[in-house]
Amino acid sequence: MSADHDDIGHLGHGELVDLEASRDPLWFKRAVFYEVLIRGFADSNGDGTGDIKGLTSKLDYLKWLGVDCVWLLPIYQSPLRDGGYDISDFMKVLPEFGDLGDFVELVDEAHKRGMRIIADLVMNHSSDQHPWFQSSREDPNGPYGDYYVWSDTDEPYSEARIIFVDTETSNWTWDPVRKQYFWHRFFSHQPDLNYENPEVQTAMIEVLKFWLDLGIDGFRLDAVPYLYEEVGHNGENHPKTHEYLKRVRQEVDALYPDRVMLCEANQWPEDVVEYFGKDGDECQMAFHFPLMPRLFMAVRRESRYPISEILANTPPIPESCQWGIFLRNHDELTLEMVTDDERDYMYKEYAKDPRMKSNIGIARRLAPLLENDRNQIELFTGLLLSLPGSPVLYYGDEIGMGDNIYLGDRDGVRTPMQWNADRNAGFSTADPQALYLPAILDPVYGYQALNVEAQMRSSSSLLNWTRKIIHVRKQHPVFGMGTYEELGASNPSVLAFVRQFGDDKVLCVNNLSRFPQPVELDLRAFEGYVPVELTGLVPFPAIGELPYLLSLPGHGFLWFGLKPGEENS
Amino acid sequence: MSATVSTELQDLLVHWLPQQRWFGGKGRAISRVDTSSSAVLHEAAEDDIVVRHVVLHVDFEDGGSDRYQLLVGSRTGEVPPRLQHAVIGAADGKTVYEAVHDSDATSALLHRIVDGHDTESVRFVSVADDLDASLPSRVMGAEQSNTSIVYGENYILKVFRRLQPGTNPDLEITRALSEAGSSHVAPPLAWLEGDVDGQPTTLGMMQTFLRNASEGWAMATASVRDLFAEGDLHADEVGGDFAGEAERLGEATAEVHALMARTLPSRTAGPEDSRVTAEQLHARLDAAVATVGELAPYADRIRAVYAQIAELTADVPIQRIHGDFHLGQVLRTQDGWVLLDFEGEPARSLEERSALMSPLRDVAGMLRSFDYAARHLLAEHPGEQHLAYRASEWAERNRTAFCDGYASAAGGDPREASVLLRAFELDKAVYEVIYEARNRPSWLPIPLGSIERLVGTPS
Repeated sequence: MSADHDDIGHLGHGELVDLEASRDPLWFKRAVFYEVLIRGFADSNGDGTGDIKGLTSKLDYLKWLGVDCVWLLPIYQSPLRDGGYDISDFMKVLPEFGDLGDFVELVDEAHKRGMRIIADLVMNHSSDQHPWFQSSREDPNGPYGDYYVWSDTDEPYSEARIIFVDTETSNWTWDPVRKQYFWHRFFSHQPDLNYENPEVQTAMIEVLKFWLDLGIDGFRLDAVPYLYEEVGHNGENHPKTHEYLKRVRQEVDALYPDRVMLCEANQWPEDVVEYFGKDGDECQMAFHFPLMPRLFMAVRRESRYPISEILANTPPIPESCQWGIFLRNHDELTLEMVTDDERDYMYKEYAKDPRMKSNIGIARRLAPLLENDRNQIELFTGLLLSLPGSPVLYYGDEIGMGDNIYLGDRDGVRTPMQWNADRNAGFSTADPQALYLPAILDPVYGYQALNVEAQMRSSSSLLNWTRKIIHVRKQHPVFGMGTYEELGASNPSVLAFVRQFGDDKVLCVNNLSRFPQPVELDLRAFEGYVPVELTGLVPFPAIGELPYLLSLPGHGFLWFGLKPGEENS
Repeated sequence: MSATVSTELQDLLVHWLPQQRWFGGKGRAISRVDTSSSAVLHEAAEDDIVVRHVVLHVDFEDGGSDRYQLLVGSRTGEVPPRLQHAVIGAADGKTVYEAVHDSDATSALLHRIVDGHDTESVRFVSVADDLDASLPSRVMGAEQSNTSIVYGENYILKVFRRLQPGTNPDLEITRALSEAGSSHVAPPLAWLEGDVDGQPTTLGMMQTFLRNASEGWAMATASVRDLFAEGDLHADEVGGDFAGEAERLGEATAEVHALMARTLPSRTAGPEDSRVTAEQLHARLDAAVATVGELAPYADRIRAVYAQIAELTADVPIQRIHGDFHLGQVLRTQDGWVLLDFEGEPARSLEERSALMSPLRDVAGMLRSFDYAARHLLAEHPGEQHLAYRASEWAERNRTAFCDGYASAAGGDPREASVLLRAFELDKAVYEVIYEARNRPSWLPIPLGSIERLVGTPS
């Protein structure tokens, strides 16, 4: 481990990977994803805001860490009234992030390193500043007159709920220019595109193709459940929405065979699976939203059942599809996606524990959420990397970055990445007061002590541990591709499961309790196999017909490769 | 009766039986062991292996007698190491061992279940299609009064040890609940039946094995351990809070009770029944006070509670109940709570176990169990008053949650019948006092403390 950081910044030619030559349409099933806030990652021009060139300069770091795919939040031209999810030009880069040339350079440099880039794209709506909308309101009979959903009254589609109940009173807003109401499922400055109009359907596919031609490896499609509305329908998950997604997938696959579409449907898994399509012909990936809060709940309860339940109730998905799973991201947890029963259950569970309620649901980073307990951070990271799905890391969590709760709303978890102990944490050369958000300064999480450079130097740092465990995962395709079977452990505080993918078989045993725990596992299906611990490759006693006994330290976890014993090999 | 169990073996059994955990006659001198039925289950030419299903007739010096069920294997030559612990001894030139531990024998048993292949004394009844006879078996460890064999991860076969003539209530009730569609029991798949004392008698029951399930007791004590580690937090503040589970367990219990009342006999008990119940409670208390002196200071106050029952004029619904309900009898599966072991207290007669009673007895049993879960770790922390206080908080919080859950599903709050509930809790606690005094004197303060809380400090 100790010499590993030497190769940072000295990428040898031998490591360059030709993605063109190794097209693997299922790459996303094995990939480790890393969510980056361009604004917060690295500032190349000293203006106090991170930019694309800054991110490009840090690709070697991400490569070293083991990241396969970088996920970017919206990078488009925007008045920024909703964090860039209000796009005013789908084919331009937000100037403070750079330009299209910078983006192409980022993609090329990532591809040279065998890494990929995906980005958020909002399909459902645009900003009201978008030329399409300006034209639509001014010239109802012009070419863009029918690009949005207009109505003389605010009556239609009353079955559609209002999503932002605290700021919006209706899904319709009066436009004094066109003298009609326009439809919007989100903020009133985000008019919904009219997908009934074939020109809109085609125009949005053109947007996708534009970025795909620049080399982007995929999209996270935002707010897809809301594309179509109809009288008498609640405006979510409409069959026409699925039809359109199938068409998008076909057109993308035809020209760009190894790109990925990740759907943002903040819904319960049984509804989300619809977006994979019955034959895996819609989106290839979707986030598994309810798993994350359940991981925290299980460790707080010292019981595996919150996790067991949600995985047991997650429907199977097509072979060519994959869940995205995460511990933390740029958003906070919402309960809007759950069914009534589940909401009651979740509410009951959370409301019983006020401390938990205030910790989860609010945007906080992983380390502060776990009271900076290294053992728990490792356990959670281990779960993220071993449960079924592709893991998505959130920038800064690999060094255990803190948050700033005084910044309010979601900004607390969007502070500058902490690279070193220099001015502005090495993030920017700007005047500290010019930063988009202040760097973390507190005595525990402050950048003077907690930064990438310092952690690279220490072989026992969280960063080096995280890198090591990511690399263990990457040696075993089973973590991305394999089946998942929970083992009924006698001890309710222990979550044990087996993943299998051909000959690649791993056994993962997690102690969700703060106290050391014994566990007896029924491993007769693997009688004669030898469990080999994956971080140190130490062989454990062979599995016999009696229950297999293991002891785990508090919040400890073990990963074993299951190797056929002498007799079986 | 039969030459299959020789006098040599009978002599061995006289000494071997009392060492078995499931043997209910410990401390009673055995005068004679005889065979009331015996049939070959499995034979193999190698080592001349013969496995027999045997029902033993055990006579005691005190004049009583019991029936026990055994699988007896015998073979020439070496017993393999995996069976050494099951050896009973040497008889008639062969080594004799208990064959529930022999996977060849238990596999043969499964084949007979699947094929409905009766022996002359055992009938196999299967109600499930597509049972897999090829699954490997293992014996579950550490059971009190029965022995269970798990096949693969699919089935669990419970072999009842002490046999009482008639249908075992566990089979009767589990079947009734399962057929009525309850998700709170493990569906029965098959059962074994034989004649004992001329009556068709349940010998064993095979159910769906609930993989990935945990005992309520293990979960509750994990929660208490978590609480004790956070001295400054209350029971409703710690992460390991169990109240959500307790509430859902209450709901499940009420649903099961309602279904039992609907599908099995039930009726309304009047004042005469209440008087009889009070008499029984008094009798049990008198016997307990005579055995355990520590109870004496509380006896009058307990009697005063029982006396209120005798005066109850309201009707009380009575029905079949679980009868031995506590956290060790419930499993948390990934789909919710499942109730097990509807046998009632095995030491009682079948007639007593099948009697109609108030379901509040089960509620009382579970409430007592929460008390135990909260306080049993205190024995390791003597004198730590703040932990004792936390334990009380935990018990109160989870007892309340259980009753809330029960009330929400039952449509009636068990706490409204406060006299009965208090009396049944006292009755359980009195039973616990005897048990702890005999087996675990250091735990005696748990039931005594509960009695004190229920009736007040003696003056």
